[in-house]
Amino acid sequence: MSSEYEPKVLMFTCNWCSYAAADLAGTSRMKTPHNIRIVRVMCSGRVDPQFIMEAFAQGADGVIVSGCHPGDCHYMEGNYKALRRMLLLRKLLEQLGIEPERLRLEWISASEARKFVEITTDTVEKLRKLGPLKPRLDYVRKIMEEVVK
Amino acid sequence: MRDKDVRIGVYICHCGTNIAGIVDVEEVARYASSIPGVVVARHYTFMCSETGQNMIKDDIKNLKLNGVVVAACSPALHEVTFKNAVKEAGLNPYLFEMVNIREHCSWTHTDRRLATEKAKDLVRMAIAKVKELEPLEEVKAEVVNSVLVVGSGVAGLSAALTLARAGLTVYIIDKRPVLGGFVTRLVNIAPIGIRGREFVKPMIDELVEMPNVKVLTNAEVISVEGGVGNFKVRIRQRPTYISDLCTLCGYCEKACPIEVPNEYEGKLTMRKAIYLPFKEAYPPKYVIDENACTKCGKCIDACPVKAIDLSVKERYIDLNVGAIIIAVGHEPYEPDKGEFGYGLTRRVITSLQLERLLDEEGPTGGRFIIDGKVPKTIVFISCVGSLIGNKTTNACSRRCCSTITYDTLKILSKNPDSHIYILYRDIRTYGFEEELYWKALENGVVFVKFEEPPKVEVMGDKIMVYVREATINKNIVIPADLVVLFVGMTPSNAGEIVRIFKLSRTADGFIREAHLKLRPAETPTEGIFLAGAAAGPKGVMESVIHGAAAASKALALLLNKKYILREPLVAKVDEELCSGCLICVGMCPFNAISVKYVGERRVATVNPLLCMGCGTCAAACPSGAMEHNGFKDKQILAQVRAFAGVVV
Repeated sequence: MSSEYEPKVLMFTCNWCSYAAADLAGTSRMKTPHNIRIVRVMCSGRVDPQFIMEAFAQGADGVIVSGCHPGDCHYMEGNYKALRRMLLLRKLLEQLGIEPERLRLEWISASEARKFVEITTDTVEKLRKLGPLKPRLDYVRKIMEEVVK
Repeated sequence: MRDKDVRIGVYICHCGTNIAGIVDVEEVARYASSIPGVVVARHYTFMCSETGQNMIKDDIKNLKLNGVVVAACSPALHEVTFKNAVKEAGLNPYLFEMVNIREHCSWTHTDRRLATEKAKDLVRMAIAKVKELEPLEEVKAEVVNSVLVVGSGVAGLSAALTLARAGLTVYIIDKRPVLGGFVTRLVNIAPIGIRGREFVKPMIDELVEMPNVKVLTNAEVISVEGGVGNFKVRIRQRPTYISDLCTLCGYCEKACPIEVPNEYEGKLTMRKAIYLPFKEAYPPKYVIDENACTKCGKCIDACPVKAIDLSVKERYIDLNVGAIIIAVGHEPYEPDKGEFGYGLTRRVITSLQLERLLDEEGPTGGRFIIDGKVPKTIVFISCVGSLIGNKTTNACSRRCCSTITYDTLKILSKNPDSHIYILYRDIRTYGFEEELYWKALENGVVFVKFEEPPKVEVMGDKIMVYVREATINKNIVIPADLVVLFVGMTPSNAGEIVRIFKLSRTADGFIREAHLKLRPAETPTEGIFLAGAAAGPKGVMESVIHGAAAASKALALLLNKKYILREPLVAKVDEELCSGCLICVGMCPFNAISVKYVGERRVATVNPLLCMGCGTCAAACPSGAMEHNGFKDKQILAQVRAFAGVVV
């Protein structure tokens, strides 16, 4: 077990839908992979692409951004903005030598504990197959520094 | 915060064995204390208890803490508890961060080592964030001392009465032309056996006489802006066409040439396009069914007091309210054609139609006859649309079981030689309603338990019901004269309401409460409350209680208050950095960002009362000038960096 590769996944959830779904999964005693670390933001629209770049730069094998379903956003349209940013970011990731499937955008409503379990489980399984992130980390870091500036 | 000044306290909760059973809390505390900046790390059985809270308060005072991390349950549960404790000890409550190691960790993992590692990671990330947190001051917002109640069923009425009696201004609206909601269609409210219309009449009578209550019928909310304490609500009121001059003489009804099924009689009889829903209806005047009316104008000629004006247009009303109570109720399930034989014969009916047949004021004058004949063998099928049927909510509708048993007793009192079968999956006559169940048993009602839903076959004049009795495990065939489908509750327009008010729904489609057990009358949105069957099936008594509960929550928020304090987790502009590009203005869905001039320089500025705190402007700002309080770039980035194990 200990020798097996375990991916590290950072997950950004919105406060209203997806964080609550994760809560419900726990309350319902559903089993989720232990590889996920959640960062709570108020809305998926708050997720700045630089957070995701930083996560990859710090060695995350995958990042999930999760918000309310389209039309259900607590702030009307934050999830659409997240969608636009993630689509662009995936293109950028590709150019940096990071498999775009390492970044997932998902809609999980507050009642969809099962979907939360399915998506996190599936992500971990896929990342296991994909193996550890091996991009040119130094290159990413250099680009990041320019972005931050 | 500069590193040498950082003094953080970390508190790990056991939650009895809920957390400590899986997570090695001692190990987590030991680990936390090794992180630079942490001056104390403790673990305790129940951090939320008074002893636990005092532990934090004492440390804040004695150790001069300037940051607090509590790793316990979900912030949805106890974030407020700990924030208040921190505040009481004299520390700014926004220098506190909660870590969820129960719902997100101990309850969802089984491996002690891995769960402990995860808890350590999450605590480390929170400590990193706390180091970057800044004290914030709450935003003072003026409040409007009025409440909007959406829906005038028993729950809405109960809420509106509670609020109005306390002296608040109450607006109560209903999309239907009359007040009272679904209950007005019921004949027997089990176990008291009172007619629904008579049940709500005293409530409506008291309400409409109050000077601080305004009633709007035929009205729906179309948009909501603002937030707790000051919502701006736009309402569309469809025309009623009939003025208060109406004397209920009924000449218009006689003159009207259009006939449609009467929903107040379970669609067993017809009514005109201009009609009086029921005799106790409020407002006390005839109404026009817009969908059926052809505007032929015959009613205008017939009206002796000239109360009808068909040229009236819909109007829009803007209200300013401090809180909103959503009490939109439910819709009874309408079986599909052919579902359990429904719609194939007049002798498969729903429970609502049965109610009308048992009513002395119903279409048969209370004689229990169908197609001119007294039905002898009657089969009830329960849970249609709730647990069985084509579209199920999977939610028990709570009032049906007691109503079924009550109705069978009523039928037996009219026709003592009836044979009655109740086909059920579960009988839930809880509380005093259990008496009805025993009475039905004693009076010879046969209860048939099924696991597979029964089948109904209509063959000309005959109806055959096939069911496998689950206790004796045998197939039974019942030739029935009448089949009554007891229909469950389905969400009423919940999709639309959820969209307008920005709420969410449960898996069964009803509107979701903030917390099923601890905050059942609130929504996750501050200032918007929930009452009655809108939040899931409820009986009449439960709806009345729920309405009063929602009203008391609104009262606690607004009564005798001039302003309230709002969470300062809003966007803020660093005017030094802002280049005035105004990308943020287009991002904001709430029009909270506007332009301001600092000397000659154009910069963006945020109105903290309009800002809802989503942070999308901060994510878009190219110069890092727009910041989201409590979720600043540097705070989230610190969390992300700590994820990888970097202790900063």
